[in-house]
Formats: sequence, C-alpha cells, structure tokens
Amino acid sequence: MEAEALKVATFHSHYGAIMFKKRIGGDASLKPVPRSLSSSCGTAVFFTSPFNAESTDENTEAVYIKDGDGWRVIWKR
Amino acid sequence: MRFAEKGKLAATGIIIGAAAVVLTLLGNPGNMGFCIACFLRDTAGALHLHTTPIVEYVRPEIIGIILGSFVLSLISGDFRPRGGSSPVLRFIIGFIVMIGALVFLGCPLRMVIRLGGGDLNALVGLVGFIAGIGCGCIFLNNGFTLGKAEKQTNVEGVALPFITVLLFVLFLAVPSLFLFSESGPGSMHAPVAVALLAGLIVGAAAERTRLCMAGGIRDIFIVRDFTLISGFVAIFIAVLIGNLIGGSFHLGFSDQPVSHSMHIWNFLGMFAVGLGSVLLGGCPLRQLILAGEGSSDSAMAVLGMIVGAAFAHNFSLASSANTGPGINGKVAVVAGIVILLAIASIVTIRERRKA
Repeated sequence: MEAEALKVATFHSHYGAIMFKKRIGGDASLKPVPRSLSSSCGTAVFFTSPFNAESTDENTEAVYIKDGDGWRVIWKR
Repeated sequence: MRFAEKGKLAATGIIIGAAAVVLTLLGNPGNMGFCIACFLRDTAGALHLHTTPIVEYVRPEIIGIILGSFVLSLISGDFRPRGGSSPVLRFIIGFIVMIGALVFLGCPLRMVIRLGGGDLNALVGLVGFIAGIGCGCIFLNNGFTLGKAEKQTNVEGVALPFITVLLFVLFLAVPSLFLFSESGPGSMHAPVAVALLAGLIVGAAAERTRLCMAGGIRDIFIVRDFTLISGFVAIFIAVLIGNLIGGSFHLGFSDQPVSHSMHIWNFLGMFAVGLGSVLLGGCPLRQLILAGEGSSDSAMAVLGMIVGAAFAHNFSLASSANTGPGINGKVAVVAGIVILLAIASIVTIRERRKA
C-alpha cells in the first residue's frame, strides 16, 4: 500500500534534493515544495517507491505521505 | 493543485499590478507604483543614512509589506523564527543586490512595472536578470547553499517587524526626525493611508502565495515548473492594461520615467540582482516577506539592502535618471558580480568536498 502511495521529501537545500533523487532513482521528480507543507519555496522530491530512511542525509528535512487531501509526516530529522 | 496555485499567484499578480497603477495615479513616481529597492533607498535617505535630497521619504509601502506578511503569518501559523544561515554573507549579498538594482534603477518588481509601461530599457534589464538567475542556478545544481536555518526565539523573529512599527509611529508622530525630499522622486508619493494599505494587502497576498520575481524564473531553470512565474506574468499584464487604459503606456527606450539607456549597465545591474537573488533564495520583495515571517536571515538581507542603498548614494554608485551610472557605479557593479561569483564558487566547492 505504502509502496505505491505518493510521497514527498523536503530539504534544507536544492542540492540535497538532487542527491536524494539520485539515491532513490525510480520515478522520483523534483518539484517546488507544496504550499500546504511550507511557506518556503524550496525544492522537494516526489516519489512513489518505498521510503527507506537510509536514503536520507543531513540535508533531508522530512518525508510525508499523501493522506486524503493532505500530507502525513512519516519521517522527520 | 498546481492550477489552483497558479490561479492564486495570478490573482496576487493582478492585485500588485493594480496597486502599482493606482499608487502611481495617486502620486508615486512614474512606473514606480512599487519598487522595493527605490523605496528602501528613499527610507534610508529619510533616516539620514544618505543625504541625496531627491530620494528621501519613509515609504509606507515597505512598512505595509513587512507587517502584512507578519500579521498573516501569525494568523496562519507560518510565523516561524529561523536564522543562522550565513547571516554576514546574506548581508553582503543584499548589499550587492541593492547596488545592482540602483544602477539599473529598480528592483525586479519595478523592472516588470517598467515593462508594463512600455520601457524597453527594462527588457534589457530582464535579459540580464534571467542571465543572472541562470548563472545562480548552475551553482545551486552543483551544491551551493548558505546553510541550514535553525530555530530562533520569538524575540529574534519579531525584531524587524517591531522596528518597522516603531518607524511608522515615529514617522506619524515626530516627522521632524526624518528628511523629506522637496523635489524629485522622493517628493512624489501617494497618500500615507493608501500606500500603507496597498503594502499590507500586497504583503499578505505575497506571503500566502510565495510570489517571488526571481523564484519564478529559477523554478523554470531547475525544476521545469511554471507555477511561480504566473505571478510575474500577471503583474506585467495588469500594469500593461492599466497603463493602456490610463494613457501612460509609452513604448521605447527614451524619455522613460526614472530610467537610462546604457544597455550594458542595465544588463549587468540586473545580472547582479538575479544572481544575488538566487543565492539569497528570493528577490528583494521576497526578502521582505520572509523577514515578516520571522526569518532573521532575510532580515539581514534587508538590512544589507538598506546599507547598500546608503552606500550607493554616499559614494555615487547609483545611476542618474537619463545619464546612467558614473565610473563609481560601473566599478561597483563589476566588483559586486565578481564578489558574488567568488562567494558562490567557494561555497559550492566546499559543499562538494563535504559530499
């Protein structure tokens, strides 16, 4: 179930998002952070592959999963 | 989702464009309904930080933008005091962004407003702005970051909005403290209440939508996303329509309000603004909005811009309308771009080594 659900990871830097996307591969894509998650205008990574905390690093801020119309946090540094 | 966001950004753009046209009709200088760089410069003059007699006025629009963002972010829960992300570098970058803007004669917001008035010099500035943003995106894609912002106290987050309130109270209660232009752009202004209200509305709307003149172009370069740019386009269309209806649209390079036609310096001035804005994470308007949300990093960038404006006039770096920059301004812009490139290169190399 979770493996197919849409997830979004947020970062402290744009480069952090690029490196995370490279690490998880698959269908991951770079997009602006959803307004409902943050008032900042950084880069987020959207993906549907299973989330593994080992994919994160010091630049990773949080990971959310789609929950109805909103997002639910599943990992936070 | 994206469509809804684009709609809100377009609505915000229309509000800003309409406000710019109305403020100009009510007294602000031509094609200067809103200009963050010019208004910070005027405020610096009013505070005696420089003494150029034609650009001194406490601009209520700036006060309104910061407070509009502050109040709405408090209500919506977006007010989160953060800071400690290379504050001195942010001050320096803000300083250089201001020098670039005052050589061009306008921030990115005024650049779009000038375009909507038919000023083709602003088109040259736009090319420089896009080039600067493109250059900044190369650094972003290769690891540039000013570092993680950490949680700060509420006192730290409220400091700049509080100073803004204090400034406005003193402006109303003891105006003799300040300098006010008797001629030139500083003497031209809309009524205080209207200017403040326009600033409050624009600040709140820009906070909600994250509107950013640099961010729209940056997002196209780095994530191929066209959401933020819709605000930029809407401002242009709203100002263009307003000017066409009001009969103040004049297409061309010459005889444009508060502008010059030295193309290389219009290009380089806005190149510095574009590059600096990407390094800061937002244009001058966005820095005011983020400062209102409690970012002491953006507050440092705003202070850098104010000090930059004072230096620009005390050391003859700012351009003169019609004649453009003098030798000091030309040297300052080139030196500013070199410093920005050096900061970006050193930080990027350091981050790549860490990775």
